[in-house]
Amino acid sequence: MSAVPAERFLDVRNVMWLMAAMMFVVAPHMLRLPTWVGVFFVAVAGWRAWIAWSALHVPPRLLVAAITIAASVGTFLQYGRITGREAGVTLLLVMACLKLLEMRTQREVVLAIYLGFFLVMTNFLFSQSIPLGLYMLVCVWLFIATLVGFNRVGRAPTVAERLRPAGALLLQALPLMAAFFLLFPRVQGPLWALPSDARSATSGLSDSMAPGNISELIKSDALAFRVSFAAERPPYSAMYWRGPVLADFDGVTWKMFGFGQSGTLNYARAENPVRYTVTLEPSNKNWLFALDVPAAAPPGSYPLADLQLRSRRPVDQRLRYDMQSYLTYKYGEQIGPVQRGWHLRLDESRNPRAIALGRQWARELQGDPRAILARAIQLYNREFTYTLEPPLLDTRSPYDDFLFNTKRGFCEHYAGSFALLMRAAGIPSRVVTGYQGGEVNPFNQELIVRQADAHAWTEIWVQHEGWVRVDPTAAVSPLRVESGVNAALGPIGVFPSMIAADKLGLLAGMRYGWQMVNSSWDQWVIGYNMDKQRQFFADLGFPSLDWRTLGVWLVIAVFVVGGAVALGLVLRDRPPRREASLVAWNRFCAKLAAAGLPRDPHEGPMDYLARIKASRPGEAADAEAITQRYVEARYGPGATREQLRELASRVREFRARTHTA
Amino acid sequence: MFADLRQSISDWIFRASVPETPPVTLVQRRIFILPTKQGYTFAATMALLLLASINYTLSLGFVLTFLLMSMGGVAMLHTWRNLAHLKLRPGRCDPVFAGEIAHFGVTIETPSITRFSIGLRRRADDAVFADIVVGDPASLSLPAHTRRRGLMQCGRLEVFTRYPVGLFHAWSYVEFNLSVLVYPKPDTAAGSPPSLSGNANEEGIPVPGDEEFNMLRGYRAGDAPKLIAWKALAREQGLLTKEFSATASSELWLDWEQARGTGIEARLSVLAHWVIQAENFGQSYGLRLPGTRIPPDRGDAQRRRCLEALALFQEPLHAPLPGDPQ
Repeated sequence: MSAVPAERFLDVRNVMWLMAAMMFVVAPHMLRLPTWVGVFFVAVAGWRAWIAWSALHVPPRLLVAAITIAASVGTFLQYGRITGREAGVTLLLVMACLKLLEMRTQREVVLAIYLGFFLVMTNFLFSQSIPLGLYMLVCVWLFIATLVGFNRVGRAPTVAERLRPAGALLLQALPLMAAFFLLFPRVQGPLWALPSDARSATSGLSDSMAPGNISELIKSDALAFRVSFAAERPPYSAMYWRGPVLADFDGVTWKMFGFGQSGTLNYARAENPVRYTVTLEPSNKNWLFALDVPAAAPPGSYPLADLQLRSRRPVDQRLRYDMQSYLTYKYGEQIGPVQRGWHLRLDESRNPRAIALGRQWARELQGDPRAILARAIQLYNREFTYTLEPPLLDTRSPYDDFLFNTKRGFCEHYAGSFALLMRAAGIPSRVVTGYQGGEVNPFNQELIVRQADAHAWTEIWVQHEGWVRVDPTAAVSPLRVESGVNAALGPIGVFPSMIAADKLGLLAGMRYGWQMVNSSWDQWVIGYNMDKQRQFFADLGFPSLDWRTLGVWLVIAVFVVGGAVALGLVLRDRPPRREASLVAWNRFCAKLAAAGLPRDPHEGPMDYLARIKASRPGEAADAEAITQRYVEARYGPGATREQLRELASRVREFRARTHTA
Repeated sequence: MFADLRQSISDWIFRASVPETPPVTLVQRRIFILPTKQGYTFAATMALLLLASINYTLSLGFVLTFLLMSMGGVAMLHTWRNLAHLKLRPGRCDPVFAGEIAHFGVTIETPSITRFSIGLRRRADDAVFADIVVGDPASLSLPAHTRRRGLMQCGRLEVFTRYPVGLFHAWSYVEFNLSVLVYPKPDTAAGSPPSLSGNANEEGIPVPGDEEFNMLRGYRAGDAPKLIAWKALAREQGLLTKEFSATASSELWLDWEQARGTGIEARLSVLAHWVIQAENFGQSYGLRLPGTRIPPDRGDAQRRRCLEALALFQEPLHAPLPGDPQ
């Protein structure tokens, strides 16, 4: 092994590793961001790799600056701003590219790797599913392996010499990580105002709905409003909290009509009144929420024709209002041709297969709304899966993609596609967004409605009956409506349709298993927040834990877990002690002494061996093997742990006969 | 002033300056560890990641942040372990002529696992690195510029590592009594020793070749290549050395008085050149310096003896290190 001086240049293999890690971490973004961003990134990374490969100079700073400005302007032109989720991530990507391009020193490489950690984080803004989490773990592994490579001086490390130490570091970090995750005092974010699209509108529902909006919202445990009922609480399945009604459809997005036509709350039939008080969290929107259907608008608000309640001012602070609703109702038997036309409007160029299917039903069933409805419910009931992590859909005809290809979706997929099918079949329809159900606080019987309870359903217009609520999600996952979203995604989310089809076969078992895993993941990893943390420690027998106590526990845990890891490391690689050989040797001498051949105090091991050989030919071979190993271990270059173990075991097995020869 | 203070504080903290008896094992209490600049940057990165996780309530963000933080902690243990229990021994430190590069040799061996990227350096000099494999001690040699003759002390050595991820710098100081003897720079312009050129015969000192061939004897390490009986080797008689009978009159004295030059150093350079010349001619030679007299002889031992005398002439044994801060 020869010594080498420190290097001053970036090793090409190390640069390649960094490029590979960067490509890995950016790959999921390529599906989400505009094409040019992906192309730009691949081009720059390729350029940098080529520079490293051909040992060229990195481009001059002026050129890099020019590219930076061009890419930033491109980002601005794309989004009209440089804040917000997509724009922010695009900008960060562009910056990472340029960091890669201009790096020349080890220090800059390290900064690029740290930037890579941020890129890992940005992926979680879009999804926190198990597969993405595992994929990102691999990315982190690659980054650490790259860092290991850059910290090797001299001979370039092999792939295993990069991956193994990095993997060991991460594996050994896992216990500490778990301690931090459980014990680190959680605070309720955000700490500062987020851009409005930072996490798909954490703040609540919006005035439009495209596939993917609500399933993002559902991951937020933020409070939407609380309700205390004057008398008995209505059944779970009746609690549809009405919010924005979306009837303007362009083939992808459902929107509110730009002109909110005010209306009156006149019902042909109004029974089962419920009285309650709502405490609404600030949302900066104008909507008030009420059970279907409100009896009267609270002060400071007015009803729209589609039964939406609108506040005259945006709700910018907590708002409390008394409400009365009718759970059984009938309204809107008469609609004019203009209204009817609005609720039948379709973009013929998008989702052609869905439109064709709706028209086919209308033909086959002679336009009978009840029969068409039953046919549609049957379709959903048979083949569809309710999931929080739906696959990405085609941007042009998302509902075609959903209905005929992926068949996995969340309430907005079902509501959106159902209303579309109805319109195609000639039945006026619209999407209603809001919340469904809630969670009962066992202490005060108050109903807590969170963003996670966000829901979307539909209303169709039927002659003589008026607007009728249809919830296609209930067809796919009845539990969502009966017991809430957690139950529906949990292990007991049994879909009758699937049992019928698969008779609880392997496929269904795997699907249930995966859903159960996902549900626990959502509940314990993604949903682990301040409340969950408190609940977790209350279950362990530590009620009312404040952050100070948690901090103390965290410090203790870090010391205990960290100490255990450290001890394991140190014990495993402790150098073998030389004395171990002496202990074995003394034991060997004691055995021989007991057998009548003690070693003279002045006698060296080799002399002693000669004497043993002379007087005990029977034990000579064993004695020689032991003595040689002892001499090598004690006076020679030293012995490894295995060699010492062998010496000890030979001494243990050594038997000296007591009679003298 | 500030640098001096820093140095003396560091000397006091790290208990430097006592030469140690080899081998030195880097036991736990000898190893120091601190974050590097990259380590501090990493900590700042972690703080930002944590803020982002809190702000965006990203659970996997928390997982990522805590995983990396813990990785940093574990990395500290790994860096420490990479240095712990290494065994250092002094290695070869061959003499050199002033102006050449001196090499301080140190041998490092590991008792347990392979150690990667172990660095070794003298104070502010550049470091050399080696990977150290079990059962194969690595010989590192630290280059150092020599400017003047004398005994060049190596001083305190720093053995350090940043492996595996460069977040921490673990180091230990080792003080061996390593030194390199620096001979005076030979003055090649000085020509041959006076007695080898011109009127050698008149003074009764024979020039090389006039000596009478006496006998062949077995080769001993250090015999000049000129004296090897190549013909005998060709006849497959083995490596033999030609022995010449050296008479008293054939002795060559390299004398301080004869070496002309301005100042002590110039004279020493001339003498050094003469020693090399005489040795190359296979001549038996002696050296006379004020206060020192080395009787005539030849071979590597004689050459070394003479050059050493020149190197240490009027030099206190523990001279301040050339090129080191006073």
